[in-house]
Amino acid sequence: MSAATAHAVAAAHAGHHGDHHAPAVDNYKEQLRNNRLGLWLFFISETFLFGGLLAVRFFLWGDHRPELDQFIGLLVTSVLLLSSFTMNLAEKGMEHGDMKTFSRGLLATAVLGTIFLLGVLVFEWGLFPAIYQGHLTPWDNVYGAVVFAMTGMHALHVLSGIVFIFIVWRLGRQGHYTPQRHWGVEACAIYWHFVDLVWIFFYPALYLIGTPVH
Amino acid sequence: MPKSATDKRHFIIAAALVAVTTVLMDILLKAVLPLPIQASLEALTIDALIGWHLSLIAFLFSLIVVFMLYSIVVFRKRPGDNSDGEHFEGNTTLEIIWTVVPLIAVIIFAFYGINTLAEVTRSEPNEVVVKVNGFQWGWSFEYDGVLSPEMVIPVDQRVRLEMNTRDVIHSFWIPEMRVKQDLVPGQETILRFTPIVTGEYTLACAELCGRSHWSMLAPVRVVSASEFDQWLAQRRAEQNPALVQAGPDTE
Amino acid sequence: MSLMSLGLVRGLIGQALGTLAGLFLVTLIRVLAGMDPIWAEEPAWVTGAVLGVIGFLIGVGALTDWAKWTVGIPTPLHHGPPVGKPAWVRYFSVDYNHKVIGIQYGVTGLLMLMIGGAFAVIFRTELSRTGLQFLSADTYNTLLSMHGWAALMAILLGIGGMANYLVPLMLGAEDMAFPRLNAFAYWLNVPSIVLLMTSLFFGWDGGWTVYPPLSVIGSVGYQFVFYSIFTLGLSSVLGSLNLIATILRMRPPGMTLFRMPIFCWAILATSMIQLTATQLIGLAFLMVSFERLLGMGFFDFEKGGTPILFQHLFWFYSHPAVYIFVLPGLGIISEILPVFARKPLFGYRWIALSSLAIALVGFLVWGHHMFTSGYAEYLRVPFMLATLLVAVPTGVKFFSWLGTIWGGRLTFPTPMLFVLGAISVFLIGGLSGPILATVASDLHLHDSYFVVGHFHATIFGGFTFPFFAAIYYWYPKITGRMYNEAMGKLHFWIMTPAFWMMSIGQMSVGVMGMRRRIADYDPALGVEFGHILVTIAGFAIAFSILIMIYNLLHSAEVGKVAGANPWRSRSPEWQIPSPVPEHSFAAPIAVVGEPYDYGLPNSTYIRMAGAAGDD
Ligand code: HEA
Ligand code: HEA
Ligand code: CUA
Ligand SMILES: [Cu+2]
Repeated sequence: MSAATAHAVAAAHAGHHGDHHAPAVDNYKEQLRNNRLGLWLFFISETFLFGGLLAVRFFLWGDHRPELDQFIGLLVTSVLLLSSFTMNLAEKGMEHGDMKTFSRGLLATAVLGTIFLLGVLVFEWGLFPAIYQGHLTPWDNVYGAVVFAMTGMHALHVLSGIVFIFIVWRLGRQGHYTPQRHWGVEACAIYWHFVDLVWIFFYPALYLIGTPVH
Repeated sequence: MPKSATDKRHFIIAAALVAVTTVLMDILLKAVLPLPIQASLEALTIDALIGWHLSLIAFLFSLIVVFMLYSIVVFRKRPGDNSDGEHFEGNTTLEIIWTVVPLIAVIIFAFYGINTLAEVTRSEPNEVVVKVNGFQWGWSFEYDGVLSPEMVIPVDQRVRLEMNTRDVIHSFWIPEMRVKQDLVPGQETILRFTPIVTGEYTLACAELCGRSHWSMLAPVRVVSASEFDQWLAQRRAEQNPALVQAGPDTE
Repeated sequence: MSLMSLGLVRGLIGQALGTLAGLFLVTLIRVLAGMDPIWAEEPAWVTGAVLGVIGFLIGVGALTDWAKWTVGIPTPLHHGPPVGKPAWVRYFSVDYNHKVIGIQYGVTGLLMLMIGGAFAVIFRTELSRTGLQFLSADTYNTLLSMHGWAALMAILLGIGGMANYLVPLMLGAEDMAFPRLNAFAYWLNVPSIVLLMTSLFFGWDGGWTVYPPLSVIGSVGYQFVFYSIFTLGLSSVLGSLNLIATILRMRPPGMTLFRMPIFCWAILATSMIQLTATQLIGLAFLMVSFERLLGMGFFDFEKGGTPILFQHLFWFYSHPAVYIFVLPGLGIISEILPVFARKPLFGYRWIALSSLAIALVGFLVWGHHMFTSGYAEYLRVPFMLATLLVAVPTGVKFFSWLGTIWGGRLTFPTPMLFVLGAISVFLIGGLSGPILATVASDLHLHDSYFVVGHFHATIFGGFTFPFFAAIYYWYPKITGRMYNEAMGKLHFWIMTPAFWMMSIGQMSVGVMGMRRRIADYDPALGVEFGHILVTIAGFAIAFSILIMIYNLLHSAEVGKVAGANPWRSRSPEWQIPSPVPEHSFAAPIAVVGEPYDYGLPNSTYIRMAGAAGDD
């Protein structure tokens, strides 16, 4: 379900304050381990959501697929992959106390994520026909329906990831993180990589596998 | 009464009680779960399977409940006794036995189940084909172009229903025939059975399909082969008088 | 003290405002975009429902800490009763103490059980005679569907109650791994209940399974159900995540997984299902919702979809869900039996691992609800095999329970009675499973009252009876006072025979040809007598539950003081005072022995630092 931010924020939050206040765990390292486990459990759960969408795709399409714009598909995929590198830069920056790399990396990630979103919404969805006429609508047939469902659910996660990035970026600039204690940054980064990873499965399922139909 | 819980005598008494209760339970179960009359070959096959299931239930239920009641009665705490129970934490051999024996039991039932399924779904070369259409909230039947609000089928011949619906899911069920199959929008589903008792039955929709699901019924008549031919010819004539001159088309 | 200091009240106001905002927003957009007609009920109510849930969470204060975090305001974790307000206020507001949250879950669960049961006794009254007496067919279908979901919600809440209250205590932990998330997960349930109740006013008739296309063409009430269950599911996911993390990470030194109180194993297995499978029902409901909103044709054959897909997604959750319902109950049985038998739990490891086995195999059997659905025929046999396999680990539990009481020193206070009742009831429910699993017999029994009988027996045996056992058993720990034993026994002795009459009656009419989910039936079936018995039994169960409610409320004031450990249990929660103090364990505990070594002299399970140790 799409409480992605809610949870990721929650986990990050617990870490941020666990060091001082949570009586359940008096030591930051313990709380950090809890948080990591919590986040990974959350990913396991989300895997079933995205797995379910993949199953729907294979159930309804079998070895067919709609004709999508291959160029845009490749482009947005590359952009998203690239964003994982910038995210990694940001996290490494924080680890080394390099605030400049940290905030530039985050901003770059957010920008790349936004480009991805625009690519999906403007081009694949054809939300702005004045700029680009989309190929599919959600209501005509199952090809459109599944494309919109899969990209929509994924876009929702990218969007929440971008929101998360901005929160972490602001907190970072206010000095809430140190190279030793920055669970918020770590959670944000892992979350972003996870959303990225999901796309690595969605991309071939939508664009590559099967013969195109008209 | 023997003192130790592992004394053989406990088990002998309990086992005897299990045997007696199994028989009683078997009778009881079959009395409170009366199946409708067996109006099809499938009913014979399926009832046999259900019968074996009920006997297994009778045995397992007795086994566990008798041992439980036995413990309750025999091992209850007596007034003034403040000791704890005997200390044993488990027994691997026993655990393995009561894992493997039920495993064998379910494998046997699985085999039996597979055979029964193959038996009730088998197809035959000369099947009477009825096209069944379900809709909110009623049924209609079609025999090679002839429409009918009631379903009439010949006795002792395998019937193949080719079922369709356009609105929502319905389900075809005549309890006396035992078999059931959903009707799914956008897909033809097949159901086969062989009626063996002539008479009148009621077809009911078994899948919730909206307000009048409860009254989505249709009459079913199982008749002799000659009556069936006669009926079909008559229906055909009613619907298309031109055909009467050409003579009844038997099929 | 003003009403507004109750989080619940603020939440409900928030939900109302959120809903209005949603209605307004959609209408505004339609006006601006020049759409016609201006009022579109479907998108308006959906937006209202979603914003309503968010409004509730903001109003109740479940998001406050996280909102503060996003702007960098420190939020110390407040542990303890509210300052400057009466102590009971905390039960109606966001509170991070797992014991408070456990009670919140449990009481909400009981409430939903009563609401769901009340729907049942209403429609049962209609069914006691042939002919439509006082309900229309539409009302019948709505009540039946509401009964299904209200009751299932009650189960999930009841489990949440037991797990949240007990797991940290049994682990000797101060609290759950993520206290804020815990409160958040609880408070999701309340707007979910509000949405479900709202659906009543629109009417919906799909049964709890809400199969499309029926649920696509039905009233807008369905949308409320979808978002209600979606919210409930989100709560399940987050709650179970928290429980798994707690069990894996918060155990005291010396407590290996195989030295946990057995209930924790049951919760671990249950949570694994909840964490994962729940996503699929959420997805399925979202898909129907969007098919209604935008005409996305997932389940519409004219657009290339198929209704069967929905059934796969639905049962991929809803079958494992039935094991979510029972595993905690079976854990309660395993937990309580040794205490009143004064003997170790027989085959601890086997019982623990059988829970995992049931949970895992349970993922592979969903197709047994679809034998007649028209899916590919070759799927029937593998689903039959997998289904039958579940009988094996379940059997291990039964036999191990027998091993536990065999040769014990049994006493029979109310909790023990409910546990023994649960075993016999769940037995008949479980045994009526394989008969549904061998496909051919299911061709007759599917969608008949036999199935209804089957699942009431499994649910009562696997959840309701153990839940009541747990309530009576831990009541002294929660309140510090004993419940009234005579009334407890009366409850048991009314409910158990009544239950048998109800469940066997349902199975009996089902075999004779009584279909599920019908408002009226053919007198020719000869099932009227059976129906009268079922109805009477339903009322008797309702009456007995009222006795329990009275007992629980009354004894909290006049019951005799219980003391720390009235049942002479070895479990950690009984080694601390009753009622449990705000900080449960005065000092950290360490595990030095086996949990269920009753009857072994000088054996110790836990030792408290500083204290002299336990019994
Ligand atoms: C709490 C819930 C619960 C539990 C535990 C179970 C347990 C089981 N259920 Fe049930 N079931 C439901 C709740 C539950 N069910 C519900 C709610 C529905 C209806 C949904 C709907 O349509 O609305 C349903 C429907 C349902 C169906 C579909 C019926 C239909 O619609 O046509 C089937 C078919 O296979 C089935 C089978 C089983 C089996 C094999 C088990 C097994 O797990 C049982 C295992 C236990 C035992 C067998 C007893 C103890 C074992 C022994 C003593 C060992 C020896 C035993 C043998 C050798 C057999 N169930
Ligand atoms: C927790 C699960 C649970 C519980 C406890 C019950 C309890 C009962 N159930 Fe139900 N039932 C289901 C889960 C449950 N059920 C489900 C999932 C379905 C399937 C729905 C579907 O097909 O979609 C179903 C369907 C179902 C049917 C099938 C209807 C049909 O197919 O047409 C029937 C019919 O007899 C029935 C009867 C009863 C009765 C008589 C009780 C009795 O035990 C009820 C006893 C009464 C109470 C527990 C309430 C006690 C208190 C009061 C009454 C006090 C007054 C209340 C207030 C002040 C608020 N239930
Ligand atoms: Cu058609 Cu029910
Ligand atoms: Cu099932």
